[in-house]
Amino acid sequence: MSRSVARGSSSSPVSEPITPSGGPGHDYRPTPINTFSVTLVLFLIAVVFSLPAARGSGRDLDYFGNFLAFLERFFPPNFVDWRPLGDALIETFQMAVLATIVATLISIPVAIAASNNIAPAPVVRAARFILVCIRSIPGLIWALLAVAVCGANPLAGIVGLSLYSVGYLGKFFSDAFESVDKGVAEALRASGADFIQGFQFGIWPHAKPFIWSQTLWMLEYNIRSASIIGYVGAGGIGIWLHTYQELGQWDRFCAVLCCILAIVLVLDYVGERIRKQFAPI
Amino acid sequence: MSAVAHSLETPHVALRDMRVHRGTRDLVRGLNLDIPRGSFVCIVGPSGAGKTSFLSCLAGLMPSRSGAITYRCLQHCDHAPLGFQMRMGLVFQHLRLSQNASVLTNVLCGALGHAPWWKTLLGFSRADKSRARTLLKDFELEAYARVPVAKISGGEKQRTAICRALMQEPEVLLADEPVASLDARLAHAVLTRFRAETKLHQRTVFCVLHDPDLVHEFADISVRLDKLCPEAWRVDHHHRP
Repeated sequence: MSRSVARGSSSSPVSEPITPSGGPGHDYRPTPINTFSVTLVLFLIAVVFSLPAARGSGRDLDYFGNFLAFLERFFPPNFVDWRPLGDALIETFQMAVLATIVATLISIPVAIAASNNIAPAPVVRAARFILVCIRSIPGLIWALLAVAVCGANPLAGIVGLSLYSVGYLGKFFSDAFESVDKGVAEALRASGADFIQGFQFGIWPHAKPFIWSQTLWMLEYNIRSASIIGYVGAGGIGIWLHTYQELGQWDRFCAVLCCILAIVLVLDYVGERIRKQFAPI
Repeated sequence: MSAVAHSLETPHVALRDMRVHRGTRDLVRGLNLDIPRGSFVCIVGPSGAGKTSFLSCLAGLMPSRSGAITYRCLQHCDHAPLGFQMRMGLVFQHLRLSQNASVLTNVLCGALGHAPWWKTLLGFSRADKSRARTLLKDFELEAYARVPVAKISGGEKQRTAICRALMQEPEVLLADEPVASLDARLAHAVLTRFRAETKLHQRTVFCVLHDPDLVHEFADISVRLDKLCPEAWRVDHHHRP
């Protein structure tokens, strides 16, 4: 008898309309205040609050005229200093490569410590805290600190970029390790493999393509960063940017930007090709 | 009494008042069984009866709620499942293979328990590689040795997992539906190999199977689990010449 009652009560779709929540008879009405509308109002308030920041100097300047005059001084790029610029570009590349290698070597053990599926919880918390602290300081500040310790030379750039990169690579690598199905490593551990063997054969083969891909991305990023940290004396092509800006030689400044753009484009293209080869299966 | 005769008479695995559970539900209760060394034990029953949980308890991957599972080694010492794991070969239902690694590397992983990490850090020994290649040949996988596991078929993956377990040279082989993805010929070949392992190397094999014909053909002992009543398990001994 109870079976027939149950069947009867669940087979009347016409009389019982489907409601988003609650059972039949529950009156669903969308509330006028929802998360989207609250966020939108808060954003509009923030925009109004931020408007005074665009006040400028307060003087009556011809912004458009200034812009056109600047463009005349900016273009065309002047490559008259091509030889020292070439040397600086090579130095920038060297700094970025070394910083990426050092950061990768440091990041792998740090990422292992920051991975939930590998390390115990207290170690994971400590490692993640360290990574957040490193990431919270911009690369230029790390370069400034490195210049204070190592002096104004490319070594400072390598140290600064390495420290900054560890913050990001450590996070990316730990995400890659955590994305691995831990069943494989557990199966190996159950068959007698030790911790290192479990990592080497259970986790590393899965994480490897992501790690190569992210390391390449970091190299591209470091080349861009290495171009700017010369502003604070940490070597590379940035020192030329600083010099030309100080002297108001904007055509030469433009030439430096063209060099940076060329190297980034080449690296982006090569990186993309290599990343496709390493694409996870 | 010869060592072999003695080992045949002594139970290799002893289950005493074994109780298997999943969540709050008991799947098996009060199971008592002595399994001689070199037996082929089939675990059968409908889906949801607790075959995989039973196997997990035997492997020490899941605690049994009460009772005891005892493994007796060749030195006549008794071990709990966790202490015996190094001598067990496991074929998981979901295989748990390293997808990006090659078939050969996955099989070689079965030998990891035989060497410390610093010996396998740069690769496996020539002897291990040769043994792995022999296994791949036996299971018709030699052509896929260098292929990543992600790029082979389900049946080939299953055989890779079996090779990995055999690579361990285990005393006890626990296989959860090892022939589920194989055609009739390969399924027969795999179970024939398991049977040969029990006779030639005195390995005890626990195997979850669904096909009653295969159970009838290969099992020395079959344990039938019941989905509705945890105490309604049945043990059958199949006497073979």
